Amino acid sequence: MTTDVVIIGCGPAGLQAGIHSSRKKASTVIIGKLQNSALHGAHIENYFGISGSADGSDLLEKGMEQALSFGCRHIGMNVTAAAKEGDLFRVTTESGEEIVCRSVIIATGISRKKLNIPGEKEFLGKGVSYCAECDCNFYKGLRVAVIGDESKAAVSSELMTRYASEVYWVSERILADGRLVDKASGAGVKIITGTPKEVRGKANVESLLLTGGPEIGVDGVFIELGGKSSSDLALDLGVMPETDDTLKVNNSFETSVRGVFACGDITGEPWQLAKAVGEGAAAGHYAAKRAKDMK
Amino acid sequence: MKILVTELTDSTFDKFVDDNSIAVVDCWAPWCGPCVRMTPVIEELSNELSGSAGVAKLNVDKNPAISVRFGIRAIPTLLMFKDGVLVETLVGLRSKEDIMEYIKTM
Repeated sequence: MTTDVVIIGCGPAGLQAGIHSSRKKASTVIIGKLQNSALHGAHIENYFGISGSADGSDLLEKGMEQALSFGCRHIGMNVTAAAKEGDLFRVTTESGEEIVCRSVIIATGISRKKLNIPGEKEFLGKGVSYCAECDCNFYKGLRVAVIGDESKAAVSSELMTRYASEVYWVSERILADGRLVDKASGAGVKIITGTPKEVRGKANVESLLLTGGPEIGVDGVFIELGGKSSSDLALDLGVMPETDDTLKVNNSFETSVRGVFACGDITGEPWQLAKAVGEGAAAGHYAAKRAKDMK
Repeated sequence: MKILVTELTDSTFDKFVDDNSIAVVDCWAPWCGPCVRMTPVIEELSNELSGSAGVAKLNVDKNPAISVRFGIRAIPTLLMFKDGVLVETLVGLRSKEDIMEYIKTM
């Protein structure tokens, strides 16, 4: 399908962008999971017009209702790929659906990358990796564990079967789309339900200990949390992220690539609801304007 | 004037390290997102340190011997040498300021 605006991420910045974009009569698709927003489960006390404390999850649900009421479509999945095609953009969801759009807004927030378990920091570069795509070649014929619950872990574990002798996907609760899970299983990935407790080894990684006792003998541990990172999405769209993973934008919240906008935590601190909402409103406005100007 | 970063190979690596009192080698690959993001940082370092330290890149895909010799299992990895001796290995994407701090202590 072709649409005016695709918004990647459905936290407060993404939802507000959707509200403003759809209010300007631009056809708008919001892709992301509400529960992945930093606002989900948070309590808000410093937002304009709110007295006392507001529940972040409630705000997100009401924001989504608003966005849908103005005509937005919501896809509750992660994005697995994005590409620039001339003046347009192609965004792919984890179910394989492809959406072509005139403007794209990156509102993914700051991704959590680390597990913060013993051994993770000590063995970085000695078996611990945060990028299967980068480091797969170093694990030819070796045994690896891929940790994560979502699409990134599914895609990475399937990728690693082309290099490693054994691939274990360790997940507390699989949240990736069934098609990605089937693809990984079909490629020979062994799925283990469990919680990583410690990365162990001597000079290099030798095993991964899970809560409750099981220990898996592995040479590599790939930590692949959440969906495709905002930095990787930005690179795929031709935008060079800063080394601290933020994206630079101009006064219209447009990045260095025409038609690619960014808003919310991804543009830098302060990581505050008020900033996210304000930037989302502006990004939605300018993304819709760009899409309409193209017609 | 912008100086191009020297591209090393398995066969030119040792001479480069020997020829520079301080040598910084960025081990990378073109399909690695963090490596691509590190490229402008390495280019800036090469320009700013011209004359005081040697800064170079090594494509690990085309030059596996160096990766094996230094036990590289993740990229980008920065190998930092002082008078031919490996004194620091930095794994992952780093800012220019971060790398400069390490170089100052060498």
